[in-house]
Amino acid sequence: MRTTTTTSTTARRSRARLGLAAAGLAATFALAACGGGMSAEEAAGGGGGEAAELPEFTGEYDGPEVELSYWNGFTGGDGPFMQGMVEQFMEENPNITVTPNTIQWADFYQRLPAAVNAGEGPDVGVMHLDQLATNAARNVIVPLDELADGIGLTEDDFSEEVWQAGIYQDARYGIPLDVHSLAMYYNTEHFAAAGITEPPTDQASFMDALDKLQAAGYETPFWSPTLWPAHLMFYSLTWQNGGEPFAEDGSEATFGSPEGVEALEWQRSLVDEGYSPSDVAQDSQYVAFKNGETSITWDGIWQINDLQASELPWGIAPVPTIFDEDRVWANSHQFFMTKQASGDADKAAAAQVFIAWMSEHSEDWAQAGMIPARQSVRDGGALEGLPQQIIAERIDDMRFLPPVPGIGTVATEALEPAVANGVLGKSSPEEALTGAAVQATELMQENLESFGG
Amino acid sequence: MSTTRVAAPADVAGAARRGPAPASRRGVPAHGRLTPWLFLAPYLLLFGVFVLAPVVLGGWISLHRWDYTLPGKPFVGLENYTDLFSGSATADTFWRSMRATAIFTVFSVPLLLVVPLAVALVMNKKFPGRNLFRAVYFAPYVLGVAVVAVLWRYLLDTNIGLINYGLGLVGLPDTTAWTTSLPAAWVALVGVTVWWTLGYNAVIYLAALQDVPAELYEAARVDGANSWQQFVHVTLPGLRPVLAFVTMITIIASANMFGQSYLITRGAPGRETRTAIYQIAETGLRNYQMGSAAAMSYVLTGFLMVLSVAVFWLLRERKAR
Amino acid sequence: MTATAVPPTRRGSTAPTPARAPGRRTGRTVVRYVLLVVLALVFVSPLLFMVLTSFKTRADAAGFPPSWLPTPFTTQAYESILAAPGTPVLRWFANSLVAALGNAAIVVATSALAAYALARMRFRGRGIVFGLIIATLFIPPVILIIPNYLIVGELGWLNTLAAVIVPTAASAFGVFFLRQFFLSIPEELEEAARLDGASPWRIFWRVVLPLSRPALATLALLSLLTNWNDFLWPVYVLFSPELQTLPAGLSTLQSANAVRYDLLMAGAVIASVPVLILFVFLQRFIIEGVSRSGLKG
Repeated sequence: MRTTTTTSTTARRSRARLGLAAAGLAATFALAACGGGMSAEEAAGGGGGEAAELPEFTGEYDGPEVELSYWNGFTGGDGPFMQGMVEQFMEENPNITVTPNTIQWADFYQRLPAAVNAGEGPDVGVMHLDQLATNAARNVIVPLDELADGIGLTEDDFSEEVWQAGIYQDARYGIPLDVHSLAMYYNTEHFAAAGITEPPTDQASFMDALDKLQAAGYETPFWSPTLWPAHLMFYSLTWQNGGEPFAEDGSEATFGSPEGVEALEWQRSLVDEGYSPSDVAQDSQYVAFKNGETSITWDGIWQINDLQASELPWGIAPVPTIFDEDRVWANSHQFFMTKQASGDADKAAAAQVFIAWMSEHSEDWAQAGMIPARQSVRDGGALEGLPQQIIAERIDDMRFLPPVPGIGTVATEALEPAVANGVLGKSSPEEALTGAAVQATELMQENLESFGG
Repeated sequence: MSTTRVAAPADVAGAARRGPAPASRRGVPAHGRLTPWLFLAPYLLLFGVFVLAPVVLGGWISLHRWDYTLPGKPFVGLENYTDLFSGSATADTFWRSMRATAIFTVFSVPLLLVVPLAVALVMNKKFPGRNLFRAVYFAPYVLGVAVVAVLWRYLLDTNIGLINYGLGLVGLPDTTAWTTSLPAAWVALVGVTVWWTLGYNAVIYLAALQDVPAELYEAARVDGANSWQQFVHVTLPGLRPVLAFVTMITIIASANMFGQSYLITRGAPGRETRTAIYQIAETGLRNYQMGSAAAMSYVLTGFLMVLSVAVFWLLRERKAR
Repeated sequence: MTATAVPPTRRGSTAPTPARAPGRRTGRTVVRYVLLVVLALVFVSPLLFMVLTSFKTRADAAGFPPSWLPTPFTTQAYESILAAPGTPVLRWFANSLVAALGNAAIVVATSALAAYALARMRFRGRGIVFGLIIATLFIPPVILIIPNYLIVGELGWLNTLAAVIVPTAASAFGVFFLRQFFLSIPEELEEAARLDGASPWRIFWRVVLPLSRPALATLALLSLLTNWNDFLWPVYVLFSPELQTLPAGLSTLQSANAVRYDLLMAGAVIASVPVLILFVFLQRFIIEGVSRSGLKG
């Protein structure tokens, strides 16, 4: 407690000093025009960890004309669909101007906290479900419980997992737009040549398919990736095997369990048994699939549009259950609102209208290759005839990472390198995972402390 | 953030020796007591806020678990440092990145010292087109790291890149994954860096070569020295102060390598080509673990200071002999 | 080959050639030119390939084997890159220009004032101030990144051009470099002006600065170049697409168009052509500035 006080006094004093310096600089170099931002504390406004008071959601916005800054990471084939939805929204709501800003996801998560703190960020946006807790803990985004009630969103309309995963410390921070999972893509020509009539669904049929493909002359039918999406395969397999990669309360990394080790051993065995080349470089398993060099690949359903644009004869099926339980990794795009918007009544009201509209019109989003999160929208036939329909039927098998702040960094710093090393054969899966799990637990403990305080 | 290059230690030493202007000899320009401080004020303001204060503030931050987006910034003493010297996850990634920086520095610095010197020697003569050649070799430097890296990522593409195609044409292996495999990625990063900054060092050498008094060469020739002996006994000693300068700026530049790795290899394969400064930026400015990142930058700085002193000492020692 | 006509005994700045048989010298000249031309090709061909690729179609740019000439020739890449809302290349160019000019102006102004005081005025604390400034020449910039990010944040400058203009403007090198230059100016001129009753400011402005134009220009160009090419800092302190500098923007462009080499090369050309043109006109000053940075002022 004592140290905290010291810190804050010092910080305040140094802020005052800096303020003086800033004034001096601005006067000296007449750079005032370039400035104009706010300090982190100013921008934070009334935030400070408590839930901000949002204006009541009425379903309509009839205030003065307002502009919403809207950030998302739909840089791929999904971008034009989102753009179309935004344009339609603006036609129907002429007094709200939405300015979209599309940034690569990697840059998006780096810039968002800094930008919102500097008052230069978005009012609304879309982020992945596993990032909500981190940004909630950072006080970047605000709770949306009122909005969820206002639109009439209830748990019945969503799978339990996706609904629960948007809640951090008893408050809802995200309104689900879609869910997207890992899927199995296969080359239909190769399958026909190998005499495979049905896509494999379990370990036996999967290994049988690989053998048939090899017999048909496709020497490396399934490339085991070392980087993306190797860790997503690992999550899926661990869940299938009855394991959990992380403790729900964020206190411990459990991916080093026997279940996890078995999962990684299976990923590596594909290389050892000759189904996959070793040292698969970044993305090359997908490129090889598109070039017809390999027959099966597991990747996200967001690749659907890309494959449709190609001339490849391909099919899609749920990820087979290699172990005991039907489980697959999934993530979800969720709408959020920042503390920047919650500080301005008009913006907050308009932002809620925007999010509500987007949620209700998520059937259009299915065209982007995603699965609308709302059951009612799916039941309304949004997925009719779309490739991902077969994946959507398995929505109850989908599993998400727990809402733990900082989990993304833990995964990239500890888990992903371990999975890569295991598949590369640099160390045994057991060594790789147990070592990394110790490191990950250490990071998670630190996170609990920093984000908790 | 890259600030302007450092000056040669020899220069600084020289400046110190020469000391302030011997103005008193003829009387100092009259000025009030405050005048010098008024002249200094704008600079000192910037210097204080953006150089002195950060050095101190960095040390302070490194003693905390400091995430500026979070309200709590607990004081943790030396934990951020002890973490770097234990078996923790942070230590692992940090030392891996230090190793990457070391590998890059060890392989790039000798090349960047020797190749530009060779180029400068070839050009150290008046001949038609000399300035044109000089400009051509210097041009990539003007383009900056972003253009250079974007361009070379294309040329180094494994499948459709010009480099692999060219290698294939002359019968060499043409499937090297220049950006995703080792040691090829290091060859690529060092090669691109030499291509990019060769002209910079060459131009400095060239200017220094022209300052070596012609009389020394004549004297050496009278003594019957051949070209190589002239190079060793006249050129190199004449270049020594500049050599010290070029060595220092090249080491510092190589140890701060970021753009090439950020844009060409994205740290791949794995994290193998992620340099220390890249790791510091990612830790502090992407994951917002600023205390840890500040501690890392102090450790890196410590290494660089020791290295600078060593280089300074080595080059001085020989000079004294 | 006029080079062979230079008398071997000629003195001056060039290193004298040993007296040898003329035939052998011609041979050496040929070897020299062959070496230089081969090296020049190594330097020019990637740039040429970049320019040529920027006029290719998407398929042509990603085709194998790579071809030098665009077939068909198209400006499609430029059109789509200039039209793409997320990557306003021209705006980035303007940002870079403003940042580099602003930074260079502040560096020259503050360094010149400080250097003059340190070179010509006597006051208590001068040794300490100069020593402190020189000491920071040896501090690697990496140590400043994290704290300066926080300071810039406190000033409210994140995501503004001020963040890339001001923090790097405290140039220890500039002070050192200009001080050395001022020391080399004969003091008599200033003395004469002082006897005419000129104030220190007037002497500085009317006598010293005009005499120092080459040094000031050199410092300005070096700062301009350093700032223009700065990459790490802008990548992290600028968030909005329209506020990027060219190097940071190119990085966004690369991650947004990973395999659209036609677009990437068009972006790279837009980023480099203006600098190359500037370089062609000012190359003597830039190169001499750089070469002099290694020598005593």
